[in-house]
Amino acid sequence: MNTNTSEVKHCFQVGDRVQVKQTSPAGNPRTPTYVKGKNGVVTALHGTMVNPLDHRGVYPPLCSVLFSVRDVFGGTSRDTLSVDLHEEWLVEL
Amino acid sequence: MADNPGHSHMQDFEGHVHAVEADLEYWRTKRLEPRIFQLHRRGVLTLYDLLHAAADHPAAPAAPHDAEQDIEIRIRALEDGLDEYTRGINLISIDEADNPMVIEDTRKERGDYDDFFRIAKPPHGGRLGDRIARLETDLREYKRLLEVVTHALLDKGVITAEQMERQCAFLEGRGAWNGARIVARAWVDPVFKQNLIARGREAVRELNIPPGRLGKLGVAENTAAIHNVVVCTLCSCYPHDLLGDPPWWYRDDSYKECIVRDPRGTLADRFGLRLPDDVEVRVYDSTSDVRWMVLPDRPSGTEGWSEEQLAQLVTIDSLVGTAPALSPASGQNDC
Repeated sequence: MNTNTSEVKHCFQVGDRVQVKQTSPAGNPRTPTYVKGKNGVVTALHGTMVNPLDHRGVYPPLCSVLFSVRDVFGGTSRDTLSVDLHEEWLVEL
Repeated sequence: MADNPGHSHMQDFEGHVHAVEADLEYWRTKRLEPRIFQLHRRGVLTLYDLLHAAADHPAAPAAPHDAEQDIEIRIRALEDGLDEYTRGINLISIDEADNPMVIEDTRKERGDYDDFFRIAKPPHGGRLGDRIARLETDLREYKRLLEVVTHALLDKGVITAEQMERQCAFLEGRGAWNGARIVARAWVDPVFKQNLIARGREAVRELNIPPGRLGKLGVAENTAAIHNVVVCTLCSCYPHDLLGDPPWWYRDDSYKECIVRDPRGTLADRFGLRLPDDVEVRVYDSTSDVRWMVLPDRPSGTEGWSEEQLAQLVTIDSLVGTAPALSPASGQNDC
Protein backbone atom coordinates (compact mmCIF):
# COMPACT_ATOMS: atom_id res chain seq x y z
CA MET A 1 0.00 0.00 0.00
CA ASN A 2 1.04 3.58 -0.35
CA THR A 3 3.00 5.40 2.27
CA ASN A 4 2.01 8.81 3.41
CA THR A 5 3.82 11.92 2.24
CA SER A 6 4.40 13.10 5.80
CA GLU A 7 7.22 10.69 6.47
CA VAL A 8 9.10 11.53 3.29
CA LYS A 9 11.60 14.30 2.80
CA HIS A 10 11.05 16.16 -0.44
CA CYS A 11 13.83 18.25 -2.00
CA PHE A 12 11.24 20.63 -3.45
CA GLN A 13 8.30 22.62 -2.16
CA VAL A 14 5.02 23.61 -3.70
CA GLY A 15 5.63 26.78 -5.71
CA ASP A 16 9.27 25.98 -6.64
CA ARG A 17 10.21 26.68 -10.24
CA VAL A 18 11.99 23.69 -11.69
CA GLN A 19 13.52 22.49 -14.92
CA VAL A 20 13.28 18.91 -16.14
CA LYS A 21 16.63 17.34 -17.00
CA GLN A 22 17.27 16.13 -20.53
CA THR A 23 18.49 12.79 -19.25
CA SER A 24 18.63 11.02 -15.95
CA PRO A 25 20.65 7.88 -16.58
CA ALA A 26 19.67 6.08 -13.40
CA GLY A 27 16.31 7.78 -13.21
CA ASN A 28 13.05 6.02 -13.70
CA PRO A 29 11.86 5.90 -17.28
CA ARG A 30 8.48 7.46 -16.70
CA THR A 31 9.25 10.99 -17.73
CA PRO A 32 7.45 12.00 -20.92
CA THR A 33 9.82 13.17 -23.67
CA TYR A 34 7.87 16.36 -24.29
CA VAL A 35 8.73 17.90 -20.90
CA LYS A 36 12.47 17.19 -21.00
CA GLY A 37 14.40 20.47 -20.75
CA LYS A 38 11.19 22.41 -19.99
CA ASN A 39 10.43 24.68 -17.04
CA GLY A 40 7.46 24.28 -14.73
CA VAL A 41 6.17 24.89 -11.21
CA VAL A 42 5.76 22.30 -8.47
CA THR A 43 2.06 22.12 -7.51
CA ALA A 44 1.84 19.01 -5.30
CA LEU A 45 4.06 16.63 -3.37
CA HIS A 46 3.11 12.97 -3.37
CA GLY A 47 5.88 11.52 -1.25
CA THR A 48 7.47 8.18 -1.94
CA MET A 49 5.18 5.61 -3.37
CA VAL A 50 5.44 2.00 -2.39
CA ASN A 51 3.50 0.42 -5.19
CA PRO A 52 4.56 -3.21 -5.39
CA LEU A 53 2.06 -4.15 -8.08
CA ASP A 54 3.71 -1.63 -10.33
CA HIS A 55 7.38 -1.63 -9.49
CA ARG A 56 9.98 -3.23 -7.30
CA GLY A 57 11.79 -1.09 -4.84
CA VAL A 58 11.11 2.53 -4.12
CA TYR A 59 11.43 5.45 -6.48
CA PRO A 60 12.49 8.94 -5.33
CA PRO A 61 9.70 11.23 -4.13
CA LEU A 62 7.14 12.27 -6.72
CA CYS A 63 5.94 15.81 -7.49
CA SER A 64 3.19 17.19 -9.71
CA VAL A 65 4.73 19.85 -11.94
CA LEU A 66 2.62 22.29 -13.94
CA PHE A 67 3.77 23.37 -17.41
CA SER A 68 2.15 25.70 -19.88
CA VAL A 69 1.29 24.23 -23.27
CA ARG A 70 2.80 27.37 -24.79
CA ASP A 71 6.21 26.76 -23.16
CA VAL A 72 6.24 23.10 -24.10
CA PHE A 73 4.88 23.14 -27.64
CA GLY A 74 4.90 26.83 -28.63
CA GLY A 75 1.88 28.70 -29.92
CA THR A 76 -0.39 30.96 -27.91
CA SER A 77 -2.37 28.49 -25.78
CA ARG A 78 -3.06 29.44 -22.15
CA ASP A 79 -3.79 25.83 -21.24
CA THR A 80 -1.64 23.75 -18.93
CA LEU A 81 -0.15 20.30 -18.45
CA SER A 82 0.24 18.68 -15.04
CA VAL A 83 2.88 15.95 -15.13
CA ASP A 84 3.99 13.78 -12.22
CA LEU A 85 7.76 13.57 -12.08
CA HIS A 86 10.23 11.93 -9.73
CA GLU A 87 12.66 14.33 -8.10
CA GLU A 88 15.79 12.92 -9.67
CA TRP A 89 14.58 14.43 -12.95
CA LEU A 90 14.22 17.97 -11.56
CA VAL A 91 16.62 20.86 -10.92
CA GLU A 92 15.60 24.02 -9.12
CA LEU A 93 15.65 27.26 -11.12
CA MET B 1 -15.51 10.07 -31.16
CA ALA B 2 -17.87 10.19 -28.26
CA ASP B 3 -19.39 6.75 -28.42
CA ASN B 4 -22.90 6.15 -27.35
CA PRO B 5 -23.24 2.63 -26.01
CA GLY B 6 -26.56 0.93 -25.77
CA HIS B 7 -28.96 -0.27 -28.34
CA SER B 8 -29.38 2.61 -30.68
CA HIS B 9 -28.51 2.14 -34.33
CA MET B 10 -24.97 2.80 -35.38
CA GLN B 11 -24.47 6.08 -37.13
CA ASP B 12 -20.86 5.76 -38.08
CA PHE B 13 -19.67 2.35 -39.36
CA GLU B 14 -16.15 3.63 -40.09
CA GLY B 15 -15.83 4.97 -36.54
CA HIS B 16 -16.94 1.68 -35.01
CA VAL B 17 -14.57 -0.34 -37.21
CA HIS B 18 -11.68 2.00 -36.41
CA ALA B 19 -12.38 1.61 -32.70
CA VAL B 20 -12.28 -2.19 -32.97
CA GLU B 21 -9.07 -2.11 -35.03
CA ALA B 22 -7.30 0.19 -32.58
CA ASP B 23 -8.43 -1.54 -29.42
CA LEU B 24 -7.94 -5.08 -30.69
CA GLU B 25 -4.32 -4.29 -31.57
CA TYR B 26 -3.80 -2.59 -28.22
CA TRP B 27 -4.90 -5.70 -26.35
CA ARG B 28 -2.87 -8.03 -28.58
CA THR B 29 0.38 -6.04 -28.70
CA LYS B 30 0.33 -4.53 -25.22
CA ARG B 31 -1.51 -6.97 -23.03
CA LEU B 32 -1.40 -10.52 -24.34
CA GLU B 33 1.67 -11.06 -26.51
CA PRO B 34 4.23 -9.23 -24.30
CA ARG B 35 2.96 -11.40 -21.46
CA ILE B 36 3.60 -14.53 -23.50
CA PHE B 37 7.17 -13.36 -24.22
CA GLN B 38 7.65 -12.50 -20.58
CA LEU B 39 6.52 -15.96 -19.45
CA HIS B 40 8.63 -17.60 -22.15
CA ARG B 41 11.79 -15.63 -21.25
CA ARG B 42 11.47 -16.66 -17.62
CA GLY B 43 10.72 -20.27 -18.44
CA VAL B 44 7.34 -20.12 -16.71
CA LEU B 45 5.46 -21.02 -19.87
CA THR B 46 7.46 -21.79 -22.99
CA LEU B 47 6.44 -21.70 -26.62
CA TYR B 48 6.66 -25.50 -26.51
CA ASP B 49 4.09 -25.62 -23.74
CA LEU B 50 1.86 -23.72 -26.16
CA LEU B 51 2.47 -26.31 -28.88
CA HIS B 52 1.45 -29.09 -26.51
CA ALA B 53 -1.62 -27.24 -25.33
CA ALA B 54 -2.68 -26.53 -28.91
CA ALA B 55 -2.41 -30.23 -29.75
CA ASP B 56 -4.27 -31.28 -26.61
CA HIS B 57 -7.08 -28.78 -27.08
CA PRO B 58 -7.88 -28.55 -30.80
CA ALA B 59 -9.72 -25.50 -32.07
CA ALA B 60 -13.46 -25.76 -32.59
CA PRO B 61 -14.28 -25.58 -36.28
CA ALA B 62 -14.70 -21.95 -37.28
CA ALA B 63 -18.18 -20.86 -38.21
CA PRO B 64 -17.95 -19.42 -41.70
CA HIS B 65 -18.53 -15.70 -41.86
CA ASP B 66 -21.39 -14.67 -44.04
CA ALA B 67 -20.13 -11.78 -46.13
CA GLU B 68 -23.68 -11.09 -47.27
CA GLN B 69 -24.82 -10.46 -43.73
CA ASP B 70 -25.90 -7.01 -42.67
CA ILE B 71 -22.86 -4.85 -41.99
CA GLU B 72 -24.19 -3.58 -38.67
CA ILE B 73 -24.65 -7.14 -37.40
CA ARG B 74 -21.09 -8.02 -38.41
CA ILE B 75 -19.69 -4.95 -36.63
CA ARG B 76 -21.69 -5.76 -33.49
CA ALA B 77 -20.32 -9.31 -33.59
CA LEU B 78 -16.79 -7.89 -33.82
CA GLU B 79 -17.43 -5.64 -30.84
CA ASP B 80 -18.77 -8.56 -28.82
CA GLY B 81 -15.78 -10.67 -29.88
CA LEU B 82 -13.39 -7.94 -28.79
CA ASP B 83 -15.14 -7.80 -25.39
CA GLU B 84 -14.67 -11.55 -24.99
CA TYR B 85 -11.02 -11.26 -25.99
CA THR B 86 -10.27 -8.48 -23.49
CA ARG B 87 -12.17 -10.27 -20.73
CA GLY B 88 -10.20 -13.44 -21.46
CA ILE B 89 -6.89 -11.58 -21.26
CA ASN B 90 -7.87 -9.99 -17.96
CA LEU B 91 -8.90 -13.39 -16.61
CA ILE B 92 -5.44 -14.89 -17.09
CA SER B 93 -3.51 -11.78 -16.06
CA ILE B 94 -2.85 -13.17 -12.60
CA ASP B 95 0.47 -13.00 -10.82
CA GLU B 96 1.79 -15.77 -8.65
CA ALA B 97 2.74 -14.59 -5.20
CA ASP B 98 6.19 -16.17 -5.36
CA ASN B 99 6.91 -15.08 -8.94
CA PRO B 100 5.64 -11.54 -9.22
CA MET B 101 5.73 -9.82 -12.55
CA VAL B 102 5.39 -6.16 -11.74
CA ILE B 103 3.65 -3.97 -14.27
CA GLU B 104 6.81 -1.95 -14.80
CA ASP B 105 8.52 -5.03 -16.28
CA THR B 106 5.63 -5.44 -18.68
CA ARG B 107 5.92 -1.83 -19.79
CA LYS B 108 9.59 -2.30 -20.62
CA GLU B 109 8.99 -5.53 -22.47
CA ARG B 110 6.19 -4.15 -24.58
CA GLY B 111 8.17 -1.05 -25.61
CA ASP B 112 6.43 1.73 -23.69
CA TYR B 113 9.83 3.35 -23.13
CA ASP B 114 11.63 2.17 -26.25
CA ASP B 115 10.06 1.72 -29.68
CA PHE B 116 12.62 -0.98 -30.44
CA PHE B 117 10.66 -3.45 -28.33
CA ARG B 118 7.24 -2.69 -29.73
CA ILE B 119 5.31 -5.44 -31.43
CA ALA B 120 4.38 -4.39 -34.96
CA LYS B 121 0.75 -3.81 -35.81
CA PRO B 122 -0.69 -4.80 -39.18
CA PRO B 123 -1.59 -1.98 -41.56
CA HIS B 124 -5.28 -1.19 -41.59
CA GLY B 125 -7.24 0.58 -44.24
CA GLY B 126 -8.98 -0.18 -47.48
CA ARG B 127 -12.68 -0.60 -48.12
CA LEU B 128 -14.99 -1.03 -45.17
CA GLY B 129 -16.02 -4.56 -46.20
CA ASP B 130 -12.39 -5.64 -46.50
CA ARG B 131 -11.55 -4.15 -43.13
CA ILE B 132 -14.41 -6.03 -41.50
CA ALA B 133 -13.41 -9.31 -43.15
CA ARG B 134 -9.83 -8.82 -42.02
CA LEU B 135 -10.92 -8.12 -38.45
CA GLU B 136 -13.07 -11.25 -38.45
CA THR B 137 -10.04 -13.33 -39.42
CA ASP B 138 -7.66 -11.57 -37.04
CA LEU B 139 -10.04 -11.81 -34.12
CA ARG B 140 -10.56 -15.55 -34.69
CA GLU B 141 -6.80 -16.14 -34.71
CA TYR B 142 -6.10 -13.87 -31.73
CA LYS B 143 -8.80 -15.61 -29.70
CA ARG B 144 -7.38 -19.00 -30.62
CA LEU B 145 -3.96 -17.99 -29.31
CA LEU B 146 -5.56 -16.72 -26.10
CA GLU B 147 -7.44 -20.02 -25.74
CA VAL B 148 -4.22 -22.01 -26.16
CA VAL B 149 -2.34 -19.83 -23.66
CA THR B 150 -5.16 -20.22 -21.14
CA HIS B 151 -5.14 -24.02 -21.49
CA ALA B 152 -1.34 -24.08 -21.21
CA LEU B 153 -1.34 -21.95 -18.04
CA LEU B 154 -3.94 -24.21 -16.44
CA ASP B 155 -2.38 -27.47 -17.67
CA LYS B 156 1.00 -26.47 -16.32
CA GLY B 157 -0.47 -25.23 -13.04
CA VAL B 158 0.87 -21.69 -13.48
CA ILE B 159 -2.60 -20.48 -12.57
CA THR B 160 -5.50 -22.42 -11.14
CA ALA B 161 -9.18 -22.48 -11.99
CA GLU B 162 -9.89 -21.10 -8.50
CA GLN B 163 -7.64 -18.13 -9.16
CA MET B 164 -9.47 -17.48 -12.41
CA GLU B 165 -12.80 -17.57 -10.60
CA ARG B 166 -11.55 -15.08 -8.05
CA GLN B 167 -10.27 -12.86 -10.84
CA CYS B 168 -13.65 -13.12 -12.54
CA ALA B 169 -15.45 -11.98 -9.38
CA PHE B 170 -13.00 -9.11 -9.00
CA LEU B 171 -13.52 -7.96 -12.59
CA GLU B 172 -17.28 -8.00 -12.16
CA GLY B 173 -17.06 -5.93 -8.98
CA ARG B 174 -15.32 -2.96 -10.51
CA GLY B 175 -16.65 -0.58 -13.06
CA ALA B 176 -17.60 2.90 -14.07
CA TRP B 177 -20.60 2.62 -11.77
CA ASN B 178 -18.20 2.92 -8.83
CA GLY B 179 -16.92 6.13 -10.37
CA ALA B 180 -20.48 7.40 -10.71
CA ARG B 181 -21.24 6.64 -7.06
CA ILE B 182 -18.04 8.35 -5.93
CA VAL B 183 -18.83 11.47 -7.97
CA ALA B 184 -22.46 11.60 -6.82
CA ARG B 185 -21.41 11.35 -3.17
CA ALA B 186 -18.86 14.13 -3.69
CA TRP B 187 -21.61 16.32 -5.19
CA VAL B 188 -23.88 15.98 -2.16
CA ASP B 189 -21.35 15.69 0.66
CA PRO B 190 -18.63 18.38 0.90
CA VAL B 191 -16.80 16.55 3.68
CA PHE B 192 -16.57 13.42 1.56
CA LYS B 193 -15.36 15.53 -1.35
CA GLN B 194 -12.53 17.08 0.67
CA ASN B 195 -11.59 13.68 1.97
CA LEU B 196 -11.60 12.22 -1.54
CA ILE B 197 -9.36 14.96 -2.91
CA ALA B 198 -7.00 14.78 0.06
CA ARG B 199 -6.87 11.04 0.68
CA GLY B 200 -8.02 9.43 -2.55
CA ARG B 201 -8.62 5.73 -2.34
CA GLU B 202 -9.04 5.64 1.43
CA ALA B 203 -12.12 7.84 1.15
CA VAL B 204 -14.13 5.41 -1.01
CA ARG B 205 -14.30 2.83 1.74
CA GLU B 206 -17.25 4.66 3.23
CA LEU B 207 -19.20 3.78 0.07
CA ASN B 208 -18.25 0.13 0.56
CA ILE B 209 -16.23 0.29 -2.62
CA PRO B 210 -12.95 -1.67 -2.49
CA PRO B 211 -10.26 1.02 -2.80
CA GLY B 212 -7.94 -1.02 -5.02
CA ARG B 213 -4.18 -1.07 -4.81
CA LEU B 214 -2.75 0.52 -7.95
CA GLY B 215 -0.87 3.56 -6.69
CA LYS B 216 -2.46 6.73 -5.43
CA LEU B 217 -5.76 8.06 -6.71
CA GLY B 218 -5.51 11.65 -7.93
CA VAL B 219 -8.78 13.58 -8.11
CA ALA B 220 -8.86 16.65 -10.36
CA GLU B 221 -11.91 18.72 -9.54
CA ASN B 222 -13.45 20.81 -12.30
CA THR B 223 -14.20 24.37 -11.25
CA ALA B 224 -15.57 27.50 -12.89
CA ALA B 225 -11.96 28.42 -13.80
CA ILE B 226 -10.39 25.06 -14.69
CA HIS B 227 -11.59 22.11 -16.77
CA ASN B 228 -9.49 18.99 -16.23
CA VAL B 229 -8.79 16.15 -18.62
CA VAL B 230 -6.76 12.98 -18.06
CA VAL B 231 -4.33 11.10 -20.31
CA CYS B 232 -1.44 8.70 -19.87
CA THR B 233 1.00 9.47 -22.68
CA LEU B 234 3.49 6.72 -21.86
CA CYS B 235 1.09 3.82 -21.60
CA SER B 236 -2.53 3.95 -20.47
CA CYS B 237 -2.48 4.23 -16.68
CA TYR B 238 -5.92 4.78 -15.22
CA PRO B 239 -7.45 3.84 -11.86
CA HIS B 240 -9.11 0.90 -13.59
CA ASP B 241 -9.02 -1.27 -10.49
CA LEU B 242 -11.41 1.28 -8.98
CA LEU B 243 -13.32 2.70 -11.95
CA GLY B 244 -13.23 -0.07 -14.54
CA ASP B 245 -11.80 0.36 -18.01
CA PRO B 246 -11.53 3.83 -19.53
CA PRO B 247 -13.05 4.53 -22.94
CA TRP B 248 -11.28 2.65 -25.75
CA TRP B 249 -9.71 5.78 -27.27
CA TYR B 250 -7.89 6.44 -23.98
CA ARG B 251 -5.48 3.73 -25.13
CA ASP B 252 -5.20 5.11 -28.66
CA ASP B 253 -1.94 6.88 -29.56
CA SER B 254 -3.64 9.63 -31.51
CA TYR B 255 -5.59 10.74 -28.42
CA LYS B 256 -2.41 10.80 -26.33
CA GLU B 257 -0.54 12.91 -28.87
CA CYS B 258 -3.31 15.39 -29.59
CA ILE B 259 -4.59 16.07 -26.11
CA VAL B 260 -1.24 17.32 -24.75
CA ARG B 261 -0.35 19.41 -27.84
CA ASP B 262 -3.73 21.07 -28.22
CA PRO B 263 -6.03 20.30 -25.31
CA ARG B 264 -8.71 22.84 -26.13
CA GLY B 265 -8.77 22.05 -29.85
CA THR B 266 -8.84 18.31 -29.24
CA LEU B 267 -11.78 18.59 -26.85
CA ALA B 268 -13.65 20.70 -29.38
CA ASP B 269 -12.82 18.79 -32.57
CA ARG B 270 -12.91 15.22 -31.33
CA PHE B 271 -15.38 15.38 -28.52
CA GLY B 272 -17.56 18.35 -29.39
CA LEU B 273 -16.74 19.94 -26.03
CA ARG B 274 -16.32 23.68 -26.55
CA LEU B 275 -15.13 25.52 -23.47
CA PRO B 276 -15.26 29.28 -22.85
CA ASP B 277 -11.98 31.14 -23.43
CA ASP B 278 -11.74 32.12 -19.78
CA VAL B 279 -11.74 28.49 -18.63
CA GLU B 280 -8.26 26.97 -18.43
CA VAL B 281 -7.91 23.42 -19.74
CA ARG B 282 -5.53 21.43 -17.57
CA VAL B 283 -4.29 18.05 -18.78
CA TYR B 284 -3.16 15.51 -16.18
CA ASP B 285 -0.61 13.09 -17.59
CA SER B 286 -1.02 10.04 -15.38
CA THR B 287 1.73 7.83 -14.15
CA SER B 288 1.37 4.48 -12.52
CA ASP B 289 2.04 6.01 -9.12
CA VAL B 290 -0.71 8.63 -9.24
CA ARG B 291 -3.68 7.63 -11.37
CA TRP B 292 -5.99 10.55 -12.03
CA MET B 293 -9.73 10.84 -12.41
CA VAL B 294 -11.77 13.97 -13.08
CA LEU B 295 -14.46 15.10 -10.68
CA PRO B 296 -16.94 16.72 -13.09
CA ASP B 297 -19.22 19.65 -12.25
CA ARG B 298 -22.65 18.86 -10.89
CA PRO B 299 -25.13 19.64 -13.68
CA SER B 300 -27.49 22.50 -13.02
CA GLY B 301 -31.16 21.66 -12.59
CA THR B 302 -30.40 18.74 -10.28
CA GLU B 303 -31.21 20.44 -6.98
CA GLY B 304 -32.84 18.03 -4.60
CA TRP B 305 -31.86 14.95 -6.61
CA SER B 306 -30.88 11.80 -4.73
CA GLU B 307 -27.39 10.37 -4.95
CA GLU B 308 -28.78 7.47 -6.93
CA GLN B 309 -30.33 9.80 -9.49
CA LEU B 310 -27.22 11.93 -9.71
CA ALA B 311 -25.03 8.89 -10.30
CA GLN B 312 -27.03 8.20 -13.47
CA LEU B 313 -25.61 11.39 -14.96
CA VAL B 314 -21.95 10.37 -14.63
CA THR B 315 -20.43 8.81 -17.77
CA ILE B 316 -17.01 7.23 -18.25
CA ASP B 317 -16.14 10.13 -20.59
CA SER B 318 -16.91 12.62 -17.82
CA LEU B 319 -14.49 10.77 -15.51
CA VAL B 320 -11.73 11.33 -18.10
CA GLY B 321 -12.85 14.91 -18.71
CA THR B 322 -13.73 14.76 -22.39
CA ALA B 323 -17.39 15.42 -21.64
CA PRO B 324 -19.38 17.05 -18.86
CA ALA B 325 -21.72 14.93 -16.79
CA LEU B 326 -25.07 14.49 -18.55
CA SER B 327 -27.59 17.24 -18.05
CA PRO B 328 -31.01 16.30 -16.68
CA ALA B 329 -32.54 17.09 -20.05
CA SER B 330 -30.26 14.79 -22.04
CA GLY B 331 -31.75 11.70 -20.48
CA GLN B 332 -30.14 9.09 -18.35
CA ASN B 333 -26.95 7.26 -18.84
CA ASP B 334 -27.76 3.68 -19.86
CA CYS B 335 -24.31 2.13 -19.42
